[in-house]
Amino acid sequence: MTKSCVAAASPAFLEAVRQIVGKENVIHSAAELLVYECDAYTLEKSPPTLVVLPNTTAEVAAVVRLCAQYNLPIIPRGAGTSLSGALLPVDGGVMIALTRMNRIIHVDTRNRRALVEAGVVNAWITQAVKSHGLLFAPDPSSQSACTIGGNVATNSGGPHTLKYGVTTNHVLGFEMILPDGETVWLGTTPDGGEDVTGYDLRGSVIGSEGMFGVVTRVLVRLIRSPQSQKTMLGIFESVDDASQTVSDIIAAGIVPAALEMMDQLITRAVEEAYKFGFPLDAGAVLIVELDGLSAGLEKQSQQVIEICRRNKARDVRLAQSEKERTDLWKSRKRAFGAIGRISPNFLTQDGVVPRSRLPEIMRFINATSAKYGLRIPNVFHAGDGNIHPLVLYDERDADQVRRAIAAGHDILHKCIELGGSVSGEHGIGVEKISFMEAQFGRDSLDAMQSLRSAFDPDKRCNPHKMFPGSKRCSDFSPRRQAAV
Amino acid sequence: MLLQPVNLDDLVSQLRTANAQGNKVAGANLASMNRLIEHVPEDMTCTVESGMNLKQFQSQLATNGQCLPIDPPHAGRFTVGEFIGRNLSGPRRFGYGTIRDYLIGIKVVLADGRVINAGGKVVKNVAGYDLCKLFVGSDNSLGIVVEANFKLRPLPPATAFVGLMCENLDAIDRLIDSLMKSELTPTVMDLHNLNLQGSDFPYAFVIGFEGSTDEVDWQLAKARELGIHESTTSIPDTDFWDDPAPTKISILPSQLTEHLRSLGNAQFIARAGNGIIYHRGRTENPHSDLPVELFRRVKSVFDPNHTLPEL
Repeated sequence: MTKSCVAAASPAFLEAVRQIVGKENVIHSAAELLVYECDAYTLEKSPPTLVVLPNTTAEVAAVVRLCAQYNLPIIPRGAGTSLSGALLPVDGGVMIALTRMNRIIHVDTRNRRALVEAGVVNAWITQAVKSHGLLFAPDPSSQSACTIGGNVATNSGGPHTLKYGVTTNHVLGFEMILPDGETVWLGTTPDGGEDVTGYDLRGSVIGSEGMFGVVTRVLVRLIRSPQSQKTMLGIFESVDDASQTVSDIIAAGIVPAALEMMDQLITRAVEEAYKFGFPLDAGAVLIVELDGLSAGLEKQSQQVIEICRRNKARDVRLAQSEKERTDLWKSRKRAFGAIGRISPNFLTQDGVVPRSRLPEIMRFINATSAKYGLRIPNVFHAGDGNIHPLVLYDERDADQVRRAIAAGHDILHKCIELGGSVSGEHGIGVEKISFMEAQFGRDSLDAMQSLRSAFDPDKRCNPHKMFPGSKRCSDFSPRRQAAV
Repeated sequence: MLLQPVNLDDLVSQLRTANAQGNKVAGANLASMNRLIEHVPEDMTCTVESGMNLKQFQSQLATNGQCLPIDPPHAGRFTVGEFIGRNLSGPRRFGYGTIRDYLIGIKVVLADGRVINAGGKVVKNVAGYDLCKLFVGSDNSLGIVVEANFKLRPLPPATAFVGLMCENLDAIDRLIDSLMKSELTPTVMDLHNLNLQGSDFPYAFVIGFEGSTDEVDWQLAKARELGIHESTTSIPDTDFWDDPAPTKISILPSQLTEHLRSLGNAQFIARAGNGIIYHRGRTENPHSDLPVELFRRVKSVFDPNHTLPEL
């Protein structure tokens, strides 16, 4: 555990924060701060100095200004579901949690947009616009908990990004408080046109893991709900056959809404947990969802079934009702949760390879599992080439922890070697910093740092993330001792 | 000056020299860097050099049954680099979006000669900041894009355009409203008044459908029910686009007809579903508060000597 260097808030700072947001919206007791010591990446923990829960943009701006004045790090936070330690308060700092700012401000059905506060939960948006035949496309598995602000920070994906794209394709603009306390609007304004003059800073902020400022309000794009859906479950003897099917579907010019794979280990765990009716002896299953106009779907689903059969699918089942479809997706989206039944701990990787290299990376994962003597189930966004191997280990056994980390490293380096990326949707956070230079090289990382310095010259906003050699502890808060 | 590099190394050294000597660079002629480096149909991605002609790029992709679904008018006049630098788009942006939705990786030479990469070759990638977005529409002001990776789409098996001549803007408003509420999924929704002066119907509305034959046929039948039935084509590449280029405005789509009224009889082509109007009337850009100070800082961290052009 890292010891927090911004150890305690000075009485003057604490009083000033309370003045801004009210006493009840400031958390500073050691016991309560433990809740915020990590996100869903639990290998490292470190509590923030203070957590502030503002209710308005003006409050956020005032708190950020105050932190600038006291030279304190700030860590913007949504629901804390990040899987890469993007929210770890490495050396402490003031965590600004947006969860109280959770209002859907305005829905504009004619222009297919909605203006929401950053703390609005992802799934609430679709719930609010469903009756108009609209939806918000990004659907991360954590969508019933994660916030839109968090989605912007990590450029979240989800199973349906294959056809519809990720967060950056569905966020038109947002209000953001820069680390010096200034409020800016980047991208399309709520009553403005979609093309905006100047640099696309909206696009650069999305996926910057909260390092450019605190996003407070977001203008999202809504899309028309598909008229019809066909969801199929292909059952295969081997991961190899299922992987080849994925490549063949894409090569045939079919773009499914979602194309997901689960191997035998994960299918068994999921079946035990949720009793959907998955076969326990299949090498792998593919979930293929087609959507669009009813007129074209029948033929397309026949085509998919043929491709599955050509790759020796044992069976292809079609979801017969909306309930069956929903149950299938529930099982898929809660797959990580089922792992608890077969292992005390797991380490998720999030690499990406070109889709045609899927069979190769899956064979490599299998070999890695054998090499380190650890089980590695797989449940992932096959259509995007975005793998999620879950390296199982027991944290009470130091050697297993070491092997699990080594196995994860091998897999990610293989992804880079195959022309891919170390993260498709979970982000770099603190977890994958050591891979950045291998993937991008020094000059490209410097260019990223240059962009960061335009937003945050002091590197005070969500520090110690993403880049190798991020400055630590002693660089911050020279005034701390004087204030305390 | 306009650089004329023979290859990437040459561009790097020319730019480095210009930057060191305080010379201004307007851009680079990348005619020597004009290849489609890779197109992997099973991955639905490609890597192309910026100097390649956009039209040639599209026809090479088409030989493998794929395309980049962005169709600016007169594609043959632009290189891929100009296309990215000016963030060009066309009628299909209603169904498919714009460059930022397809550009997954870039290679850029910065003002001081450093060569950087951003993004990658895979369709989903959140490692590092998304610098690709920054260079779309940046028109050589932050660096010279020399290579681009795009995600692609399959060429649609069927495409059809239907149109309707309209008497007045109120009728168009109602029509768009009913289209937006319908189950139709057009990929093109255009409105124009070119070559219609003196006609009883001063406005032409054009929508396009793409997909399987079944999907397109079903939509044509539905469109007919809404009164849109004249078989037509996409708006041809007219001299409307020639120098001087028409003015572009981007407004809330629901305010389209209101803005068109204010243009009087001026020639226009509008991407009606997107709220984009290209016109030859008086310029009345809607006021907006841009984060200009932030733009200035971004420019100065990437090009501190201002070697490259201003945006």
